[in-house]
Amino acid sequence: MSRFDTLHTAWMDWDGPTPAREGVVLEYSRELEKFLAEIERRAFRMAQVALRDADDALDVVQDAMLKLTKNYASKPSSEWRPLFYRILENGIRDLQRRRSVRNRIMTWLPGPKEDPDNEAQDPLESVADAATPIPERLMQDQALQQLEISLRALPARQREAFMLRNFEGMDVAETATAMGCSEGSVKTHYSRAVHALREQLGEAW
Amino acid sequence: MGEQNRDSLEERSRALFHDSVENLDMRMRSRLTQARHAALEAAAAPSHSWLPRKAWWMPTAGVTAAAVLGVALWMGTPAVHHAVSFADAQSNLEDLDIVASSDESGDALEMLQDDLDFYDFADKAANTEPAA
Repeated sequence: MSRFDTLHTAWMDWDGPTPAREGVVLEYSRELEKFLAEIERRAFRMAQVALRDADDALDVVQDAMLKLTKNYASKPSSEWRPLFYRILENGIRDLQRRRSVRNRIMTWLPGPKEDPDNEAQDPLESVADAATPIPERLMQDQALQQLEISLRALPARQREAFMLRNFEGMDVAETATAMGCSEGSVKTHYSRAVHALREQLGEAW
Repeated sequence: MGEQNRDSLEERSRALFHDSVENLDMRMRSRLTQARHAALEAAAAPSHSWLPRKAWWMPTAGVTAAAVLGVALWMGTPAVHHAVSFADAQSNLEDLDIVASSDESGDALEMLQDDLDFYDFADKAANTEPAA
């Protein structure tokens, strides 16, 4: 039984004074905040890998947080993670569709075209960690860059399966819930993703 | 592709990803925290978002309904009825005036004075101790 369920059951059995309900709500709100705080950075990085833009990634993460807290917070806390990633992936897909439509319209309009690879980078993001020797950091950055390029080259469903299973550490059932497909499909997508990444990144990986 | 290579790919990519998560710059961490708090606050006050939108038309609707009702009553009532009602009201005022200026009102006051004298007498009689 989840902590939320336990709290809910405790509240239902409570025959003391009313303020106990406020305590339950407060505890439940704290649990939700803790969950979001624990997940937000990884979710942001996954969205950033898919969208190649920090601001867009932040927008979809915030939107997913809002939708989860508004619509699904009453669900057991064990269901929050797959639900959150399902909302997030839907948000990413919607944004990619809008970009695709916008790009199609922009090709018909005169004026300079935007280069999606030429993104404005925050100078602070490229500052190396002082604790790590610079060559090692550079090698890690380069490897991460290669990985991100390869992940973006994957079909969306394979990328989703790989990131949720490997980066987020979800099991097959959770990933299937998050992706809205069967467990068999998750296994297929994941296996194909690993194979494609191996092809792109080479044997050195 | 060997299983070992596959595991190595998974492990290395996972380590790189988590390293990049740990090294997120402070500005982005702060923005994520703000986003989280905004989401939790919005969820904590769900009624505030729709209440102003619902409330703005309520006074307008009230005034409109009152205006429509007033017009309907005015238009739906026969003109003769207005005249009769006005005449009745005037007649009632005149009756009140007659009653106020009537001589009988003076008689009533005199009767009230008599009653007061009687009540005063009865009160004294009740409080007087009987003679031994």
